[in-house]
Amino acid sequence: MIWRGTWQTTIYSMRRGLRGMSEAPLVQVLAIATTAVCMLLLGAGLLVWVNARGILESWGVDIPLTVYLVDDARPEDAQQLAARLSAVPGVERVVPVTPDMAMTRLAEGLGGDSELLDGVDPAILPVSLEVHVRRDVAPDFDDRLAERAAAFGVVEEVALPGEWADRAKTLLDTLGDVLLGAGCLVAFACLAIIWSTIRLAVHARRAEIQILQLVGGTPRFVRAPFLVEGALQGALSATLAIGLLYVGFDSLRPFLERGLTILFAAGALRFFTPLEGALGIGFGALLGVLGSRVAVGRYVES
Amino acid sequence: MFCARIFDRASSMPILEFSNVSMSYVRGSQRSREGRRFALSDISFSVERGSFAVVIGPSGAGKSSVLKLVLAMQRPDEGTIRVADRDIGRLRRGSIPYLRRNVGAVFQDFKLLIEASAIENVSLALHALGLPRRQVYERAAMALEQVDLEPTTRRPVRCLSGGEQQRVAIARALAGEPAMLLADEPTGNLDPRLTQEILDLLANVCSRGTTVMLATHDPLVRDHARVDQELRLMGGRLVYDSEAARRKREASDVAANALVEAVA
Repeated sequence: MIWRGTWQTTIYSMRRGLRGMSEAPLVQVLAIATTAVCMLLLGAGLLVWVNARGILESWGVDIPLTVYLVDDARPEDAQQLAARLSAVPGVERVVPVTPDMAMTRLAEGLGGDSELLDGVDPAILPVSLEVHVRRDVAPDFDDRLAERAAAFGVVEEVALPGEWADRAKTLLDTLGDVLLGAGCLVAFACLAIIWSTIRLAVHARRAEIQILQLVGGTPRFVRAPFLVEGALQGALSATLAIGLLYVGFDSLRPFLERGLTILFAAGALRFFTPLEGALGIGFGALLGVLGSRVAVGRYVES
Repeated sequence: MFCARIFDRASSMPILEFSNVSMSYVRGSQRSREGRRFALSDISFSVERGSFAVVIGPSGAGKSSVLKLVLAMQRPDEGTIRVADRDIGRLRRGSIPYLRRNVGAVFQDFKLLIEASAIENVSLALHALGLPRRQVYERAAMALEQVDLEPTTRRPVRCLSGGEQQRVAIARALAGEPAMLLADEPTGNLDPRLTQEILDLLANVCSRGTTVMLATHDPLVRDHARVDQELRLMGGRLVYDSEAARRKREASDVAANALVEAVA
């Protein structure tokens, strides 16, 4: 019947955690709002990074080599060439791109202006192969591979993204590193806020903690309501941050997309997917659990 | 790990045994034996199951230290303490809550949540056992009825009299059906009439098979009719154990009778 006791304990902890939050509503609102602001900053940075990556990917900077085939190339020619290029040591994978796929990408790249392509036959676009190489290859590998690919009869042209793509990738990687650092700082700030709030709750309920320990409450049982409280705080903060971010993103989106299309010929911007949003909320809950665990840990163990 | 079945009420073993127990409170750098002030020195006694034992002595005699040791709130420096034949000096940290579920405790300052009602206070102990909510309230109500308190009252505990608050504390200690009940100066804050009421209540608890161990500085408590054993402490030393004295008397009576029979 251990599972039954555990289930009852879980229900009790959830109820006590919720009641604990309702006992100090002002403190909770302030803590959730402050944590949400921190998470909002982090979310905004992530959103910028995700979209910057999307724009660069739409320009093909992440594809070292694109091999365009001649107009009359047959599908089996493309397959044979893909197989031969895949066999070259250093090549990670080769992705064939049909005219239909190319047309879809082009439409996505045009974003709101995709109606310009209405009535255009995808067949005007050539069949191509995207060649991805491993990271550990020599610096001149791309050029040598391009020469080898161009020697095939069915190849019309081999396109290399050029030096600007390397710079763009470096910029993106730097942005990613900066975001990672900022993310760690923000996560630490969130932990500190949740830690202080739970510490206040622990102090307010110290008599209850002492009684629970005297009547045979296990440390896990005593801690659990505070962990629930911390998890809820973190999850609510993350939900609020994502909600506010969505409102801001949705309002600015048309202006941003127009500006980006003019400046960078970039397509539609995107918000976090539901899965990414859920992961964000989960991350918030995890921060909450960690913060409250630290806050309550030594007090309960002592 | 401690569990309910090791507190077998039918067992003939004493429920509590102290053997040459010494205990000190370590403060700051007083790590060496010489620098420590011993709260208890070389204490040995045992308490039988279902008996009513009173630990008596002035302030600082070591009464509370004895109870703290039984609840594993402190560890002995020397000697062994056996509760239901288990050495609790060697108890793992994780097993302490299970010991405390079998040893109820009542304190002079009640240790109640003063803004919560009586039933909420008693329920707290039962929630810690992982019981379903309905069972928690049923058992809490029963425990309150046992101490003659109305379980339906929603008044916060701070609105109750001192005697009623102590009854709530006793109900909380009894709700988990412990094999032993420890009471540290439970009548310390009460007037003589309420003191008598609480003693009668503890005697009643003892009559139902629960071992009661009461620490007090009030010498009148030992005169209560239900008290089976008196342990007198002075300056951290056990100066009198009525049960040991009785056994010694019985042994000498047996020896004297044997001598008389031999001479006759």
